[in-house]
Amino acid sequence: MCLSRGASTHSARAAPPSLRRVIEVEHLTKRYRRAKAVDDLSFSVPRGRITGFLGPNGAGKTTTLRVLLGLALPTSGQATVAGHRYRDLDAPLRTVGAVLEASNYHPARTGRNHLRVLATAAGIAGARVDQVLAQVELSAAANRRVGAYSLGMRQRLSVAAALLGEPELLVLDEPANGLDPEGIRWLRNFLRSFADGGGTVFVSSHVLAEISQLADDVVIIHRGKLIAQQTVAELTLQAAGGTRVRSPRAEELLARLREAGIEGEATENGVLAVQAPPERIGDLAAAAGIPLHELVADTGSLEEAFLELTAEPHP
Amino acid sequence: MRAFRAELLKATTTRLLLWFGLGLLAFLVLVLSIHIGSHDQEGLRELSTQRTTLGFGGLAAIVAVLIGSLVVTAEYAHGTINQSFLAVPVRGRLLAAKLAGAVVVVFVLAALADAVTLLIAELWYHGRGDSLHLDSYTLAPFLGTVGAAMLAGGIGVGLGAIIRRQTATIVAILLWLLIGESVISAVGDSARFAPGHALGSVVAAHEHSTSGDMLAVWPAVAVGLVYVAIFCCVGFLAVAGSDVPSRGD
Repeated sequence: MCLSRGASTHSARAAPPSLRRVIEVEHLTKRYRRAKAVDDLSFSVPRGRITGFLGPNGAGKTTTLRVLLGLALPTSGQATVAGHRYRDLDAPLRTVGAVLEASNYHPARTGRNHLRVLATAAGIAGARVDQVLAQVELSAAANRRVGAYSLGMRQRLSVAAALLGEPELLVLDEPANGLDPEGIRWLRNFLRSFADGGGTVFVSSHVLAEISQLADDVVIIHRGKLIAQQTVAELTLQAAGGTRVRSPRAEELLARLREAGIEGEATENGVLAVQAPPERIGDLAAAAGIPLHELVADTGSLEEAFLELTAEPHP
Repeated sequence: MRAFRAELLKATTTRLLLWFGLGLLAFLVLVLSIHIGSHDQEGLRELSTQRTTLGFGGLAAIVAVLIGSLVVTAEYAHGTINQSFLAVPVRGRLLAAKLAGAVVVVFVLAALADAVTLLIAELWYHGRGDSLHLDSYTLAPFLGTVGAAMLAGGIGVGLGAIIRRQTATIVAILLWLLIGESVISAVGDSARFAPGHALGSVVAAHEHSTSGDMLAVWPAVAVGLVYVAIFCCVGFLAVAGSDVPSRGD
């Protein structure tokens, strides 16, 4: 937690591969009766980065996280944290902080008492309770019953519970669900500052805009299977659609591009969609003396990449 | 030990015990008043009547089995079992802590029930110009109440772990106590080994069996312990071998 983000990345590079990966999921399968929620899923989460866990509803994200946290039993395969099954960790709350559903509270218990119970069970000093309450800005509501909390406050309490043991890893399952824009911004800033402090974040979400603003890497699953694991930058680059070109001599330019082996097509009068970077098109046009009135890279988004990767095949 | 302390903290940071305690108090006032009020002066002086009167604290055993079950099922109902297992991921360890916590809680409850029973009985006897004769014979049900409540709490924890649904568990317990025990009593001669009868025998605390439906105290304790062992073993295996639901019932 005290390392800077840069230092963490540096140390991760020096460490052996097994230590660089804080979460490892290996050939994990989870079957509910006849349905496979997770199907031979394998991926790893690197230390010191924010990794988004993406997939459509029902893709198996929550099931995977629950197996990882020892709350669900795998049918086969395994999921480990820091090289151990969750139940085998010496001090689980000091290793992993988990934020699951915001409804996991006894409504008649106060926020402070909820945390005291967890701290006692995990052998964490009681003073830590007030520290984390302050950290999530819930000190003023600490002695109110959780039943009277708003959804946003309960989500903050979940985060406080996750922080009790000062873990190096936060695992969050759809933490932005039901939060208002202010709550989402608070959560984003909080997770970013946690990661900036050297922590690792593994966050599941189907709010793609959130992940694209927050995560360094993404793991995408669909129907329980791994679809992609790469950096957000790689993924958005993959979704890039090409370059939009407008020229008064569009037809001539298209012919020159095709001669150079570049694919493209006219989309409207004087406008071309070209499968090449703007630099190359600009150079070719300049060499041919063809004027350009517009040359715009068609940047892709994580959402486009996600939809493309998880699209159902057409019959 | 940490998990055990956390279980005690859970029990004392909601009003569940308070409501159960107040409910038990009200029930004891009612049944003791009816019981004492229905005897004449002569009857009240009989030591066997006094012993029976002081045994009414044994109603705490019914509350104890409910509390024991709620120690487990309330966590499933509210979803807090998720965070409990995150803090104490070895399931057997958490359930053992719940068992120990429930036994301690119902021990205190039973002791309070004894004290309240004694107080109410004394007030009634005093009001009718008489007094209780307190000796080892009349006070024996006090120990029986504590023992029966602790056994009932253990059975409740096991049953809660087997069923895990709060409403279903409470309904099952009440149906068993109201109907199941009576049916067993009516159809055979082994009713004394049924859980309710066995715990009733523990409360009565007779050294020797006094009727076909009742066991002597130590065999009754042994039968109660067997039930605790069976329910807890089955319940613990059921919890260990299943996924923790992500939402309550």
